[in-house]
Amino acid sequence: MLKNTKTYFPIFKKYPDLVYLDSAATTQRPKLVIDAINQFNSFENANIHRGVYDLSNSATKNFELAREKVAKYLGSTNPKTIAFTSGTTNSINIVASSFLRPRLNKDDNVVITLLDHHANFIPWQMLAKEKEAEFRVVPIDKNGNLDLTVLEKSLDQKTKFLSLNHISNSLGTTTDIGEIIALAHKKNIPVMIDAAQSIAYYDLDIHQLDYDFLAFSGHKMFGPFGIGVLYVAEKWMKNITPYNYGGGIIKDVTIEDTTFSDFPFNIEAGTPNISGVMGLSSAIDFIHKFDKKEMIQHISDLVNYCTDQLISIDKVKIIGNPENRSGIISFVVDGIHPHDVASFLNQDNIAVRAGMHCTQPLLAAMNTSATVRVSFSIYNERKEVDQLKNSLVELIKFWS
Amino acid sequence: MVVTKEEVQALYKAHILPENNNPYHFEAKDNASTSLDAYNPMCGDKFQLHLNVKDDTFDTVHFHGFGCAISKASTSILLRKIEGISKVDAIALCEKFLKNLTEDNQVDEFDKELNTLIALKHFDGRIDCIKLPWEALLAHLMKG
Repeated sequence: MLKNTKTYFPIFKKYPDLVYLDSAATTQRPKLVIDAINQFNSFENANIHRGVYDLSNSATKNFELAREKVAKYLGSTNPKTIAFTSGTTNSINIVASSFLRPRLNKDDNVVITLLDHHANFIPWQMLAKEKEAEFRVVPIDKNGNLDLTVLEKSLDQKTKFLSLNHISNSLGTTTDIGEIIALAHKKNIPVMIDAAQSIAYYDLDIHQLDYDFLAFSGHKMFGPFGIGVLYVAEKWMKNITPYNYGGGIIKDVTIEDTTFSDFPFNIEAGTPNISGVMGLSSAIDFIHKFDKKEMIQHISDLVNYCTDQLISIDKVKIIGNPENRSGIISFVVDGIHPHDVASFLNQDNIAVRAGMHCTQPLLAAMNTSATVRVSFSIYNERKEVDQLKNSLVELIKFWS
Repeated sequence: MVVTKEEVQALYKAHILPENNNPYHFEAKDNASTSLDAYNPMCGDKFQLHLNVKDDTFDTVHFHGFGCAISKASTSILLRKIEGISKVDAIALCEKFLKNLTEDNQVDEFDKELNTLIALKHFDGRIDCIKLPWEALLAHLMKG
């Protein structure tokens, strides 16, 4: 188990009694990242790519070094495979709009899975509607697992794209994306991975996994809000066209026409979130302080312990029982709405999420309208699970 | 204003749980003269309000659906308040209640049930649960 990890995070110094079990929504921010953002805002602030003065040159250099760092984080030696976006949702929408829209025709199909977040669901659904293409949603079994045989059957000659998450933000299902990518590539289908829930803890080396597109957000990997990444494999870079016009993405502008820079610069119109990039860069430094296997082991221990504790409470039912579960558990309490559960846990300083978690079709398939979700990160401890259990037991007693 | 755990528990025990456990006219009435949804897509709470209107007055009203204890209690209380009153009076009641619910200070007097709902606005982000059926009904009535 990791030890004393709370000390990296100022929020736990301010609120030592806080039991933060909502890291799937956003991870807490370490001092290292906060300091990096403050450093830039206080002493290094300048716009990039536009000035010839020292501050601007320095900001530009650090911005591009961050791009290089993100590329290396994914095992890519080419920083130009990395575009900075506002987050996972933005990255997915860019691929839907810039890459797939020109390639998707009537009667083609685009495939996602029932485990996907609305951010990796609606962009493809809307595009399929627009193009009169088929929107295929691969089902899951009653435990919340994807059946790879079913998924493989969903991929055919008319499939133009497959997009799926690595980890379900609702059920915690961890999918074997390497095998799925290989299946899709056998049929020449490009694959996008929504790595929002896995990017902080899992090794997503491009050479191991061979994804075509990858999206993630800074704020779910100890970084700031408002910054995200879109990775595009070299072979597809020329197929990503601007989706948002403005300054900073052009080669040449005349009254008659405009020509554009190549990816990634052609999708970074306007002034980017420079301080966010500095924070993201620092978040990667923070993650490098840890062994990822130890991070996963730490979270896995907490999830297994929490699962055992929840099962032991009469009236608590865990939603889904995936073979490989990450740091996320959804559950319901018989007779008490998830919103009420979350509100009462909050009274005991326990922060959890309640609702649909932007996965309405998934919850419908699991025969529930809303759940309570707990999610763990490196700063959580077993004693917090005990507090969760005690509060739930007390709530159930109060409610009856 | 911070509400203590004990205060919240007292409010729940005295008013919300009884209303939640025995809601007023909690029954699907698909043949009602008017039906509308009170739906919060953020949390999934969804109630169908089934309203029978005669001569611009709510004759019998029912509701059905899924939601938290507060939204269910709020819907139950709302329906009890509007049964037997005119649409015009229902609009006035909804507007007055929502005004007192959303403004910092309560300026109007209500009965114990509505005062309880208003008191719960200080309970960590649950104001949307209270507002849900009132806003849905008001929007419906304002459309004519």
